[in-house]
Amino acid sequence: MVDVLYVEDNPNDADIFSRLIRKLNRPITYTVISSGSEAIEYLTGKGRYEQQRTVLPKLVLMDLNLDGVSGFDVVEQARALERTRHIPIVAFSTSDNPNDIKSAYDAGINAYVVKPGSYQETGDVLEKLCDFWLGNNTRTDYK
Amino acid sequence: MIPSTIDLINCEQEPIHILGHIQSYGYLIAIEPDTYSVVHASDNIVDLVGTDAAQLLGQSIDKVLVGTHLPISTLTEILNVGQRNDSWETMNPHRLILNGKVWNLIVHQHKGLVILEWEPIGNDQNQLINQQLISQALTEVQSSRTLDELLQNTARRVKTIIGFDRVMVYQFGDDWHGQVVAEEKEDDLEPFLGLHYPASDIPKQARELYKVNLVRLIADAGSVPSPILSKPGWPASQPLDLTHSVLRAVSPVHIEYLKNMGVQASMSMSLLYRGELWGLISCHNRTPHFVDYQARQAAKFVSQLLSAALEFRKDKEDLTNLQQYQQTGRELHQQLLLNDDVVRALTKLPITALDITGATGAALIFNNKIHQLGKTPDDKQIRALADWMGTTGTESFLQTNQLPVLYPPAEAFRAVGAGLLSIVLSRELNEYLFWFKPERVEQVTWAGNPDKPVTVNEEGQRRLSPRKSFAAWTEIVRNTSEPWSEAELSVVVKLREDILQIVTRQANEIRLLNQRLQVAYEELDAFSYTVSHDLRTPLSSIRCYAEILLEEYGEDFSPDAQALFQKVIDSTDRMRRLIRHILFYSRMGRSELDTQPIDMRQLLNGIREEILVTSKDRSLRIDIGDTPPIMADPTMALQLFTNLISNAAKYTQLAVEGWVQIKGTQTDSEVIYSIEDNGIGFDMKQAGKMFDLFKRLENARTFEGSGVGLAIVKRIINRHQGKVWFHSEPNQGTTFFVSFPVNPTK
Repeated sequence: MVDVLYVEDNPNDADIFSRLIRKLNRPITYTVISSGSEAIEYLTGKGRYEQQRTVLPKLVLMDLNLDGVSGFDVVEQARALERTRHIPIVAFSTSDNPNDIKSAYDAGINAYVVKPGSYQETGDVLEKLCDFWLGNNTRTDYK
Repeated sequence: MIPSTIDLINCEQEPIHILGHIQSYGYLIAIEPDTYSVVHASDNIVDLVGTDAAQLLGQSIDKVLVGTHLPISTLTEILNVGQRNDSWETMNPHRLILNGKVWNLIVHQHKGLVILEWEPIGNDQNQLINQQLISQALTEVQSSRTLDELLQNTARRVKTIIGFDRVMVYQFGDDWHGQVVAEEKEDDLEPFLGLHYPASDIPKQARELYKVNLVRLIADAGSVPSPILSKPGWPASQPLDLTHSVLRAVSPVHIEYLKNMGVQASMSMSLLYRGELWGLISCHNRTPHFVDYQARQAAKFVSQLLSAALEFRKDKEDLTNLQQYQQTGRELHQQLLLNDDVVRALTKLPITALDITGATGAALIFNNKIHQLGKTPDDKQIRALADWMGTTGTESFLQTNQLPVLYPPAEAFRAVGAGLLSIVLSRELNEYLFWFKPERVEQVTWAGNPDKPVTVNEEGQRRLSPRKSFAAWTEIVRNTSEPWSEAELSVVVKLREDILQIVTRQANEIRLLNQRLQVAYEELDAFSYTVSHDLRTPLSSIRCYAEILLEEYGEDFSPDAQALFQKVIDSTDRMRRLIRHILFYSRMGRSELDTQPIDMRQLLNGIREEILVTSKDRSLRIDIGDTPPIMADPTMALQLFTNLISNAAKYTQLAVEGWVQIKGTQTDSEVIYSIEDNGIGFDMKQAGKMFDLFKRLENARTFEGSGVGLAIVKRIINRHQGKVWFHSEPNQGTTFFVSFPVNPTK
């Protein structure tokens, strides 16, 4: 059982994310997946995740600009499946282009966060995200 | 038969070649070629031969000379020779002495009859003079430089040969109206040179006869014509055809015409051009005047010589005209090629579109503007004409010398544009080149008084004198210009091709530019994307790792190293802001406008609160006055006012108490907002580069900024068809004004 699934193909961003989560001093588990296609396999339990009985995370943090299968595609496919239809997905992107933001909502995200671009601010944002989505948010699959 | 009522219509129908009379100064008989028996004789033949016509009819020709001293054998010999040779031309005239008087006998054969005509002989001494004149005329034809000169000189020669008061060269127009183009006259006569005559003055059948019978003499308009009698039993339906007769009587209509002009004798010689009647040499005399056969032949020869010269001259003149127009057309083409500016090339340089035709005015409608040359209708009339052209379905060119007939509103400007030659440059864009010719009536000087009333004769019948046909003709020439020549048309059609070639070339260049622009835009898109993502991502990494280093290893750093790290962090911050601004700038230029009414009170309050939050630590007041709504794109409006107000707030940082005042006013056509501050202000001398991308003013250097904010403002205001301006003084604050149109056009 993981709390956060972070889909991010930039190793630096993934590294900074890991450092910040660890700094939070909370028992948060996470998995970083570095491509859109792998993210789909993870969420659907297919491909390289077929043998593992993966449990859905409490929050998917989705970078949108991925090489190959983009974050938008992943969100759309997740929303098309019964299993992942209601899973919380928060877009976490460098882009503040209104078109990107609109497309992401159209694809079915729950929230959009622009990457702040600094360590300090990113830490603040992640803390808030974890507080809300892992603490306050009530999910349908919660048993 | 002389018609009892005369009008223009029966004038056209009058059978003038079978009038049944001859002029009474000569005598006529017609005989059958095989039997030499007399079929017709003029009633006055008794005066010549002493025998009544009635006694001669049906008899052998032997009877004719019975009452004279001339042996009949002389006459039959002449006829036999003519018959044998099947030619009479070479034998004419024959001198015959009848009862002590010398006569010229002129014989010809026509429609199965041999026609013999006697007329008086003239003065023998003339013959030599005539020969000299003919040879001089020949020299003249060879040496005359212009057609006008040639015609004038010919008139003089002819007058010398035949000795009339007035000799005119009369030229037919396309509509068969005539104009006097050369004249030689007695000094006391009023000049007719330049006068116009309606086509009906010389009816069609008369013109046909002029083509066959090149010389025509009316020796005495006042004499009583002698009727032609036919042998008993000759069918009335077969009157004698006088087409080639030298004595043929004159139509009473024509006699009246001559009398109206005070003319007693007249002679005309035909001028033919390519087998068609080009004109006449028309001679008038105030008293009866006989011209003998020899002199008539000499005059005929001169007129034939002139006809031949005409053909040559006119062809040459047409060719010269064509070459002249073509040369001008080529120069215009050169101007077009060199200029790449159609309007300038056609209207502004030494050679203009007006020079390639005989038009007196020209107008070019291009790019929705009218450019006039010479005498033309006014702007409004030209625009209406262009609109009409669009409805005519004309594909390439239109020509008319009666524009008001095709397009009635043209009657209003017929004085400058009764004739129109037009080429279509683009029907879609309403682009045309027009040439105008004036109404001809302006140039027409009338022969006689067109208003002369209808005369009433002794029997009380209304008679339309031939002179009255002027009035009818006035109506015809009204709204008519000189016609357009083949040369004019061909040059104009070529010019159209030249212009279209240039226009197409320019259109192609624009299309290529558009393609390149398209590529540039696509590249800009790619670039924007790269900037927005690919550059910002490593920049974030640099910043984050610098922060991590400071946070995790900062204690080990010397204060200098810590300061250096802080510089790295600050620099990434500035770079990130710059990138954001550039993106805004490009986005404001390209995204679709979503124009809608904006609640300015709400928008400005939002901006105000945001700015006040970030300026907590200083004294800043932002006042908002009247807030009339504007029509704008909400995102862009927010961006624009945010930039202006945050600028104002920024540049008041040094003030003890910063103050920004925003208020709007509305006029009929625009809404103007002013943003006034008490900040550092600037020197208006530097204001020129205010809105340039990345340009910052000198006294603003110490303030944070990318130099993009006002460029974005300018771009947004441009896209809204608005205006932005300002007033400032150093240390006195600045006021920015932005205006938005109340009804922006899409």
